[in-house]
Amino acid sequence: MAAVFPIGWHRYQPVVDILFAAGRDFPRGRISEIAGSRSSGRTGVLHALLAASTGQGECAALVDTKDSFDACSAAAVGVELSKLVWIRCGGNAEHALRAADLLIQAGGFGVVALDLAEVPPAALNRIPATAWFRFRRAVESTPTILTVIADQPLAKSCSAMTVKLPPRRVVFAGQAPFLLLRDAG
Amino acid sequence: MFACIHGADAARLADSFSPFVEMVDEKTAVFTVTSHQIRQAESLPLPAAVAATAEAAILAARNLPGYTFIPPGQEARVLGALTIDTLPPDPELFETFELWGIRSLEDLARLPENDLAARLGERGLFLQRLARGALERPLRPLIPAARYEESAELDHPIKLREPLLFLIARFLHDLTARLKSQSLAAASLHLTLNGNQRRHSLPFPTRDVKLLLKLVEHSLERQPPEEPVAKVHLELIPTEPRRIQHGLFTPAAPEPEKLELTLGKIRGLVGEKNVGYPELFDTHRPGFARQTKERSSLAFRYFRPPLEARITSERLWTRMFQGKILQIAGPWRSSGDWWQGCVGENAQWNRDEYDLALSDGALYRIYLDRAPDKWFVEGVYD
Repeated sequence: MAAVFPIGWHRYQPVVDILFAAGRDFPRGRISEIAGSRSSGRTGVLHALLAASTGQGECAALVDTKDSFDACSAAAVGVELSKLVWIRCGGNAEHALRAADLLIQAGGFGVVALDLAEVPPAALNRIPATAWFRFRRAVESTPTILTVIADQPLAKSCSAMTVKLPPRRVVFAGQAPFLLLRDAG
Repeated sequence: MFACIHGADAARLADSFSPFVEMVDEKTAVFTVTSHQIRQAESLPLPAAVAATAEAAILAARNLPGYTFIPPGQEARVLGALTIDTLPPDPELFETFELWGIRSLEDLARLPENDLAARLGERGLFLQRLARGALERPLRPLIPAARYEESAELDHPIKLREPLLFLIARFLHDLTARLKSQSLAAASLHLTLNGNQRRHSLPFPTRDVKLLLKLVEHSLERQPPEEPVAKVHLELIPTEPRRIQHGLFTPAAPEPEKLELTLGKIRGLVGEKNVGYPELFDTHRPGFARQTKERSSLAFRYFRPPLEARITSERLWTRMFQGKILQIAGPWRSSGDWWQGCVGENAQWNRDEYDLALSDGALYRIYLDRAPDKWFVEGVYD
């Protein structure tokens, strides 16, 4: 049974601190999921997790199905880009799953992140449930955190932890044109 | 004993005496000779000299006509008649020697060492030892870099991958054994099949035949030869081997050999250009900048390529989503690289950026590309 940890966004608390706190709790040798809609903060949690891992000197890998990774914002929260293997799959979910499988088999990564966000539901529905069982089996004897980022939870019972991020109400503050974004719960 | 030949054909003549030849300049070759070879040197058609030190032989060959043999211990006497300007040029010291009335090497050789060192220092002593023919140094032969290559021309061209790999494995075993004998490792592998070269730069120096063979196998899987292979040429570029000191508290990392093979497989799957490490550039170009504008600490996701959009004062439409505009911030104008033209990866940019909150609850970054005057959604803050 997957545990669900909703993360709330607090108005004046630095966002990155919250994300780092979330990053430290991901179990090793298990599948964890980060699920949420656009602008829910799922990418922020992923960046924080990668920053925590690479900050400890580990190597991390990101399987970027939709080629959406932004190195600037990742580096801004402390991801060491030189320790991050970035694999772009051009929208092909099957290639992404195969690449993630190969990376887990290679071993030695602190985090393997499989980013399936924004992938069309039709492509996600084609992923057989056995794929997640195979991932769970492959990762369980390793110190690797396998993280799946998606719009909705995908791994179901194979996932040891699911971070569900609720939609946020975005708030602009300041005076135009120098408006700043502030999160609200 | 050292021998020196001075003349236009010095290198070729020196090669007939020894494989280890130091070329002092284009016309001067120095090498070691045995007692039997000393007699052969007498018949050389170019000015030549044999002496107990390399520098004495060089001075004699350059400045004395014909063949000169300097018996050990007689260097100062034989070289003494040479003028001071036969030594390596040092204008400052030569001026001093001129003032002191020193004209020949014999004059310089006679000066007391301690007093000369006190007045002219290390450089003065160096010239005096040269003048006495007493400066000893080892030979610095020019050894051509060894090439680690194997090739074969086949009577019956190979059509299948397995026999080709079998042949390449044999090459690799031989070449890595040669590298090992020289305490070297391969930095890159160049495989030429029927004249088409494919280069594999290795991420670390290695002599592991299995790893090299796997890399070649992945390469052949990704890009099979277009026609049966009749000519195979394999070259390993040598370098110093990798030396690693492991630590107890070093975080676990992928084994380099395994990682390279894994990335090789993934490259075969998603393409060569889609596997690597992200890197930021020192530029203001959106999406590449090392330091972005201080606008938000939120993470960002790109839509690659950007989504073309249609926008009014109230709504936004794209092929993926649409919604009512709730709030909008901007514009942030940016432009650059105008000298790069309008086409290509590094083409100029000129745009107005906005942050846009839509009714679907997401916050997007949109921009107006001012060159074609079109709206695009670049990505979403996430």
